[in-house]
Amino acid sequence: MFSVPCGAPFLFGLIRPGCWLGSSLQDSDSIWEVIIAMIEKLKALLIEGEEQIAAANNEQELQMVRTALLGKQGSITEALKELPKLEASLRSEVGKEANRLKNLFTSQIESRREEIVLKASEISPEFDCTVPGIPPLAGSLHPITQMSYDLNDTFRSLGFEIFQESDITSELYGFDNLNFPPGHPARESMDTYWLAGHESGSGGERLCLRPHLTGASVRYMQSRKPPFRFVYPGRVYRNEATDARHERAFFQYEALVVDEDFKFSAGIVMIKSILSKVFGQDVAVRMRTGFFPFVEPGFEIDMKCLVCGGKGCSVCKHVGWIEIMPGGTPHPNVIKTAGLDPDKYTGFYVNIGLDRLVMMRYGVDDVRLFHSSDIRFLSQFC
Amino acid sequence: MRLSYNWIKKYVEIPDGMDLAKLAYDLTMSTVEVEGMEEIARSFDKMVVGAISDILEHPDADKLKVCKVDIGDQAPVEIVCGGINLRLGMKVAVALPGAKVRWHGEGGLVEIGAAKVRGVQSFGMICASSEIGLFDLFPFTEEATVIDLSEFDALTGTPLAQALGLDDVIIEIDNKSMTNRPDLWGHYGLAREVSAMYNLPLVEFEPFSPPPTQGFVIDIHDSKGCPRYIGVEIDGVSVKPSPFEIQSYIWRVGVRPANAIVDITNYVMLATGQPTHAFDADQVKGSINVRRAAHNEKITLLNGKEAVLSTEDLVIADEVEAIALAGVMGGERDSILPSTRKAILEIANFDAMSVRHTAGKVETRTEAATRYEKAIDPERCDIALSLAMKLFSELFPGLSVTGYCDNYPNKLERKIINVSLGWLEKRLGKHISNEEINNRLALLGFDVVFDGDKMNVTAPTWRSTGDISIQADIMEEIARMYGYDNFEPSSITASFYGAINQVDIDLERSIKEYLAFRCGMIEIFTYPWMADEYMYAILQNNDGLLSLSAPPAPDESYLRPSLLPNLCKAAAKNQHYYDEFAIFETAQVFQDKDYSAVYNPQELLPYQRRHAAGAFVGSGDSADVALLYRKAKGVLEHMPRYTHMEPFSFEKIEKPIWADNVVWSNICLSGAPIGSIALLSKKATLDCGIRNNSVMLFEFDIDSLVPYLSRSNKFAHLPEYPVNEFDISMLFDASIRWEEMHDAIIGQKEEGELLQQALFVDEYRGKQVPEGQKSVMIRLVIGSDSKTLTSSEIESNAQKAINRLEKLFGAELRS
Repeated sequence: MFSVPCGAPFLFGLIRPGCWLGSSLQDSDSIWEVIIAMIEKLKALLIEGEEQIAAANNEQELQMVRTALLGKQGSITEALKELPKLEASLRSEVGKEANRLKNLFTSQIESRREEIVLKASEISPEFDCTVPGIPPLAGSLHPITQMSYDLNDTFRSLGFEIFQESDITSELYGFDNLNFPPGHPARESMDTYWLAGHESGSGGERLCLRPHLTGASVRYMQSRKPPFRFVYPGRVYRNEATDARHERAFFQYEALVVDEDFKFSAGIVMIKSILSKVFGQDVAVRMRTGFFPFVEPGFEIDMKCLVCGGKGCSVCKHVGWIEIMPGGTPHPNVIKTAGLDPDKYTGFYVNIGLDRLVMMRYGVDDVRLFHSSDIRFLSQFC
Repeated sequence: MRLSYNWIKKYVEIPDGMDLAKLAYDLTMSTVEVEGMEEIARSFDKMVVGAISDILEHPDADKLKVCKVDIGDQAPVEIVCGGINLRLGMKVAVALPGAKVRWHGEGGLVEIGAAKVRGVQSFGMICASSEIGLFDLFPFTEEATVIDLSEFDALTGTPLAQALGLDDVIIEIDNKSMTNRPDLWGHYGLAREVSAMYNLPLVEFEPFSPPPTQGFVIDIHDSKGCPRYIGVEIDGVSVKPSPFEIQSYIWRVGVRPANAIVDITNYVMLATGQPTHAFDADQVKGSINVRRAAHNEKITLLNGKEAVLSTEDLVIADEVEAIALAGVMGGERDSILPSTRKAILEIANFDAMSVRHTAGKVETRTEAATRYEKAIDPERCDIALSLAMKLFSELFPGLSVTGYCDNYPNKLERKIINVSLGWLEKRLGKHISNEEINNRLALLGFDVVFDGDKMNVTAPTWRSTGDISIQADIMEEIARMYGYDNFEPSSITASFYGAINQVDIDLERSIKEYLAFRCGMIEIFTYPWMADEYMYAILQNNDGLLSLSAPPAPDESYLRPSLLPNLCKAAAKNQHYYDEFAIFETAQVFQDKDYSAVYNPQELLPYQRRHAAGAFVGSGDSADVALLYRKAKGVLEHMPRYTHMEPFSFEKIEKPIWADNVVWSNICLSGAPIGSIALLSKKATLDCGIRNNSVMLFEFDIDSLVPYLSRSNKFAHLPEYPVNEFDISMLFDASIRWEEMHDAIIGQKEEGELLQQALFVDEYRGKQVPEGQKSVMIRLVIGSDSKTLTSSEIESNAQKAINRLEKLFGAELRS
């Protein structure tokens, strides 16, 4: 039970005649009866109120008790409804006592409220905390877009610009400028998607869906001044049969630095930056001889297999290394087409197959899923 | 390409105990990519040479015999066998328990155990060639013929692979990695590279000295197409089988043995990389000439196909007609026959482009064409001739050369490259001494002369057909032989002229991230071409579209002018898995118009614009349409603010062809439409195969958007006095649009009114709302900058708005 505030016990004072009857006692017996009745009511209320307050188990119940005791139509008001019949001096005496009772209840209710708030949860103990949460909006960027943006961020931090060109290009930019010899098989329709009505002729007249991004680098260089450092991500198109490892439309990401006296050995730093960003750890890299018409020297760039750490496993075909991208120094003919002196300018280029990298990042085993627009697949990359 | 390690060792003296893994690694790092190493002997594990010492009848099977077989040191074993050619003393191939064979040459590999065959214990099996993958070397015509090894010297118990000379390793090389190295397309070429890598002696071929002959002439009418042609007429040949060694060598690298003449020509090609061909000399009418084909000239090829030629194709002809397609394939008429006694051997050089063109046209990419396409040097004819004549003479001791002609009108010059040593050092980022440069290059066959700060490098003939042509090529030769692993990484140096600020590039990313992360849409990728079905469903026609000349599928030839056909296809696909979803794509669209020279006056590129499009798909009662519309519109309305670009407006200017008649708006920028938002029409929805769903679409042109150069919104002071919300619910005629209501409340506000905003909360039609009317709940935001409003002031301000709505639209306040 709660403790009585200081000044109590006060109601016992009420029944000591000398204490409050004073000069009004002589008026009549009926007044006395009224007073006695009020005192009895208040006395009863003291006990009743304390019990009710103690019995309240939550804030709602306590509020109801409060209203029942102290409200405009509450028990104390009810007990004092004969009060106006008394003369002023008596009224104030009884009123004071009633106020003390009100104050007592108020403080008892506050104490009780604190007790309730402290220890009681209003939630039923059966509340199930294992029920799953409500998911936030489920939107997602395509995993290839995400990879592309990760690389953009990396290259921006190294001072590279981002460049985009159109999907439709010409033989001039797709092949001629890039040192592809005339009659190179990639120029044939079996490899490249030529546009109907634009498949004959030569150079700028022959239009196709871009077979690679490298042509874009010449566009960039022709319209700007060196030195250059830029990346150009995008989708490229090859006319070939599709299977789990081959697609007609796939994403490449190229980076090119062109400057005076760039050492090819600086390229390895560029490559390591990319791979450590993508895989979140330092990756061992090696460059070995490779051939592409638009670079000289050309490299195949391998990274140490992250699955086996280079010991050899099925992922790396037991070689310990995984071919990750071609690269090299832009061929002097390409530099020349870009309007620069190849004896003065050189650089480094890499071409990253994004589809493959994303497949490795998540363990995706079928490249065709990227163009499937299947939400069951895409929503895994939120 | 498959190369035999033993074959390479014929030409370069590789020390015993060479680590093959290291050889593979070194080749991969500096020359070509080794994809795998295959020990041939592995397939013949637990197989030995046996000799049959006794043959007994099987007690319970007529066709089976029980053979006692001597297998070397151990006691003879008993093997049950059904071979029809078994005889006493015969040497056979025995597969002991644990060996893996293919039963009757079919199905997968099965491990042999010691087992009972019809009640008799058999310790392994006597093999037929098809059971152990040797059918091509030991062909048979009758079933149940076992391999007869009696001709082989090997003792009993000798491992089979060793007995057959198959204790060899096949080096598998990725063809792609050697397209630029025509010199490597043969064992001798790779031997030469290995000799350079490790400084090992290379075997030289002894030049062939032809005997004097008369009257045998080869005419070349196109010396560009045919820089060299050696013809040798040899008498005294026949189509007997070639020696087992020749057969086994060509077989192990993937060529099926045929007869001595054909096998030798193949052997020479595989050894030297120089294709050779043999004609039946008795079929050739008159002398041979090399010329361009006549228009529509026809030839029937060895493979039975008839090719129709043009003046671009180079042929070998006699005085009557074409007898071979130069560098591609021989003709049927003059092919080697069982009756052939006299042959003409062709060792020639043909122009790479010409061969590639013709091989592609007749769709016949032979081993020969594959090599010619890479540009072979004509000097190589000499070693091929030397090897071929050696082999023919050995096999046909009575052979005589009755005709010989070496017509070499277009001699190959060795390439000479001047290299600046200063340039070389800068590019390599490392000083390499002249002596070391000279050593490295000399091993590869280059001659180097130093001249002050320059060097003159003369490439060997086999690298002079295009492979080596500029100083960067020489740098590569030095760097790869020095070892790329031996160059330390160095830092990237470049000048900065300022921070990168590409608002147009960043805007597309902002839009995509906004759609995905704020709007909960899922990004999809689709192809730039469309399926006709969806093209017609959405666009209704193919007017003004670009198309592919060789499309991925006959009904997917048109390039999209809009992202919507493929977006709807994606919606149709996903409806099977999701009741409600939102997807988007950004990509370029194309049209056959507005050609312009963006980068180069010689290059006219068509209309190509970046678009963004989205679809909100939900189950389709009319309430959902309203909700879907508001969702989609909300995405667009808020996009400019979140992605920092000039804002859109929504107006009805031109209904998209695919849109519903009622639910559509154009997205406008400065009053001009740049896209649309609309419900996909009922017909288009059905045509797309979408059932019981509504599809709300938007599409707009990203290239038209105007990004802000920086943030553009301004800070607003926080209100000093409370701002009050006051909701009203009114009945309107169903035709009154929200835009009009909003204008009545805010647009027509009078001086002193404290209405700040009117917000649309909800709209309701149905029960309790009379037909033709709607109930709209509007939240009025009321507040003052100078004081706290009393409730009567709030009410009186709200009342003014209510009065205007009542007066203008006859709206009625609901209780």
